[in-house]
Amino acid sequence: MGLKDYLYDIWEAVATTAKGMRITARYGVDPRETITLQYPEERWEPSERFRGFLYNDIKTCTSCTMCVRVCPVDCISLESVRGADKKMVLASYDIDLGRCMYCGLCVEVCPPKSLKHTSGYEKASVDRGELILHFIHEDAGEIKARVAKQVAEAAAKAEAEKAKAESEKPEAEMAKDGDPDSRAAQKDAPPLAGGNPEGGGAAEKKPGEEKE
Amino acid sequence: MKARAEALPTQEMLINMGPQHPSTHGVLRVILRTDGEVVVNARPDVGYLHRALEKIGERVTYAQYMPFTDRLDYLAAMNCNAAWAWTVEKLAGIEVPERAEYIRVIVCELNRIASHLIAFGSFTADMGAFTPFLYAIRERERINDLFEDICGNRLTYNYVRIGGVSADLPDRFLEKTKEFLDYFAPKVPEYNNLISYNKIFVHRLANVAAVTPEDAVGYGLTGPNLRGSGVPFDLRKNEPYSVYPEFDFDVCVGTGERGTLGDCFDRYMVRINEMKESVRIVRQAIEQIPEGPVMAKVPRMFKPPVGEVYFRAENPRGETGIYLISDGTVNPYRLKIRAPSFVTMGIFEKITKGLMIADVVAVIGSFDIILPEIDR
Amino acid sequence: MMESLAISLVNAVPVLSGVPLWTITLLIMVMVAAVVLTFALTYSGLATYVERKVAGDIQARVGPNRVGPVGILQFLADGIKLLLKEDIIPAKADRFLFVLAPYLVFVGSFAAFVVVPFGVGLIASDLNIGIYYVMAITSLVVVGVMLAGWSSNNKWALLGGMRAAAQIVSYEIPVGMALLPAVLIAGSLSLQDIVRSQGGLFGIFGWNLFHNPFTFLSFFLYYVAALAETNRTPFDIPEAESELVSGYHVEYSGIRFAFFFLAEYGDMFVVSALATACFLGGWHVPFLDAEALPALWGNLFSLGVFLGKTLSLVVLMMWIRWTLPRLRVDQLMRVAWKYLVPLTFFNLLGVSLWLLLFHGKGIPQMIASLFG
Repeated sequence: MGLKDYLYDIWEAVATTAKGMRITARYGVDPRETITLQYPEERWEPSERFRGFLYNDIKTCTSCTMCVRVCPVDCISLESVRGADKKMVLASYDIDLGRCMYCGLCVEVCPPKSLKHTSGYEKASVDRGELILHFIHEDAGEIKARVAKQVAEAAAKAEAEKAKAESEKPEAEMAKDGDPDSRAAQKDAPPLAGGNPEGGGAAEKKPGEEKE
Repeated sequence: MKARAEALPTQEMLINMGPQHPSTHGVLRVILRTDGEVVVNARPDVGYLHRALEKIGERVTYAQYMPFTDRLDYLAAMNCNAAWAWTVEKLAGIEVPERAEYIRVIVCELNRIASHLIAFGSFTADMGAFTPFLYAIRERERINDLFEDICGNRLTYNYVRIGGVSADLPDRFLEKTKEFLDYFAPKVPEYNNLISYNKIFVHRLANVAAVTPEDAVGYGLTGPNLRGSGVPFDLRKNEPYSVYPEFDFDVCVGTGERGTLGDCFDRYMVRINEMKESVRIVRQAIEQIPEGPVMAKVPRMFKPPVGEVYFRAENPRGETGIYLISDGTVNPYRLKIRAPSFVTMGIFEKITKGLMIADVVAVIGSFDIILPEIDR
Repeated sequence: MMESLAISLVNAVPVLSGVPLWTITLLIMVMVAAVVLTFALTYSGLATYVERKVAGDIQARVGPNRVGPVGILQFLADGIKLLLKEDIIPAKADRFLFVLAPYLVFVGSFAAFVVVPFGVGLIASDLNIGIYYVMAITSLVVVGVMLAGWSSNNKWALLGGMRAAAQIVSYEIPVGMALLPAVLIAGSLSLQDIVRSQGGLFGIFGWNLFHNPFTFLSFFLYYVAALAETNRTPFDIPEAESELVSGYHVEYSGIRFAFFFLAEYGDMFVVSALATACFLGGWHVPFLDAEALPALWGNLFSLGVFLGKTLSLVVLMMWIRWTLPRLRVDQLMRVAWKYLVPLTFFNLLGVSLWLLLFHGKGIPQMIASLFG
């Protein structure tokens, strides 16, 4: 290494350092370059498509279980019973935000568009249970019992009408018609009252799995 | 002198670098055997982040696997999304609308910029300069804003779908992207002035851990790590997929401008230059993007035909290959992912011999590995 | 100096004449030391705040802004946090040395404040071997750092300690050599004398910085070497957060860590103060002679000028830190032995020849004498 290279080395080190320091100084003194948002006071506007916490509008939900089936991490659990008017009635609808990965697949498949992403993103809790969103606050067992009662009443009504219309039919068959509903309700109610949302979800998932 | 050295025998030191170490980019563990500061052997130990992503692929449906590809290389989730979509489309022979392909290319290239920004930023932070890291994050934040507009998430996008993309571009997206490109293009020369050609930085990187072109090919390096060794191999050019043939861009290769060919500095410069090329590609894509649908007709209960397929895409970290066997059901029969970072770790032990501890950090940074991809 | 102060105090207050003189001297000494220490600690705390603020500004961020107005009380909050933290000593550590090390580092750094010439009459102790004393006492730092690295029983800490030892020992030489020109010009090792020798000529052209080309170069060489001696980026390899996790103080927590931290900022002040005193004319400033002012105002004014110069050098260090990457350990040694040491020797030779040839006159003096 000759003297020229030696001096050039020093010159290069000084020059490149000065170049870099000029850039940092420009950022340092220019207040417009500060881009920090003071978070709790200032917030950015989440975009329209922002995938925040899930929200299910249970009034429009048809309990079709599409969301349950498409969820890759099984974070949605849903329970429903067939109501008196042959429509499904939601007994419980829970989303475990601790598991949810906000992929948005459930929102995309929802036929009535009742499941939506909100723009909410702040949720911290000391207990994992608090991360489970319950969209139906009533106890699932009560709803089931009530629906079962309604179904039974409707069935009894129909039965009575039937009996009036066709009095010649044997009674045994009519009893068979009413039985399955009430039995199902009794079987499902206890685990739910015990606070196990998984059991209901798994039970409800069965038709989907059969298809696979 | 020599006699005295023999009289005072020294011991090698065994140091555990990681899995909790600030510059192993996650949970990589390197078992260092050193002679003072000089590394005798550095054996990488991977597997701390294993989540059985390939096995998960066998029990979820094709569409359900899309969010998991986000977790493959979380700094380039769009590229992984798209790679999965292209693989399944290749298997099932789905014709994707052209607009969807253009959108995919735009988001992939934007994500490549974001990923290279993180590579650049974390690399300089490893070298002791923290300011460029913050600048890189600042620019990346704007890309994240764009992605938030387009798909609603900022890290795990899950935007690409088998047969297209989940939603068309939002209003003003292309204008916003152009604004970003205009903002970003002058930043690259600024980075070069700030740090790339800084004497100290160049000295830290030049002639460190040079990988010869033969070794690079032999060890299966891909992406910027391969091109850093002067091998002009880029899947977007050499095995074009999607609409990449429509675009005019250069393949950046290392030239050994400040030292030997294939050293850390070359790998670093390839990334810097690729950001410029990505800007070019996105500009062209914005010019050429056609109108039309963004989603092909794909049945809800999607069942590809029986068969197997291998598809590889040029991701920011190299070649992500997906090997897929279908048995005609809704779930893949077998899924294998060739992760570029994992393959790259193969040469790590060889090239770190005789370097100093500080150089090991430089090597990890210059390879730009990402741990979730290594362990899958 | 303390003794004469004590005598004058006794003369002024007759009640004290019954008390032995040495107790009064001792009391005055303790008081002066307390004042200096208070200043040093306050400065160090504020310097950590300024460092973070400078870093924030440079990095397009805001920096601390929550505690107190514009976050200025952040350092108090940090200090309280560090005090309240659990003091952890690793099980396999050498307990005695582990506890001793932070004190050595702290003492080495803060004892140097004693000879810093803050103003016309503001100097805790105007030792006639001032520079020599600073060089000697700051060497304690290296002992402390090495002990910290060794006693932690952690391999990263050990590497950091060894690096620090090699680095500081190497850089002591260029630091000393770069300071010698100022000593040659003033003909004294006392910092106050060195500052006094730079007066006159509009208060700026008397500075050693402009004395001749060699002293000009000397200032920059000193500054670079001093950066290395204080373990600041780009020479922060003993800490090297991204390589050695954080080097020799990796196992320290709580108040012991705070000692290392404060010592680093204390070191920065000391080396900047030396640069100010030796090259930037100390408290000399254009158009106003502090020595001609009444004692109180002269002292306050000169204190302000001195702190202004010194603290801008400290901020310059921060600016450099947030711009540059870090050298590798072998490159660090190369910078010391292949660049700084030869250049400082060359410089010293140049200055000596200059003083010999021009009878101790600098360029500004010669120009001034041309115009009469």
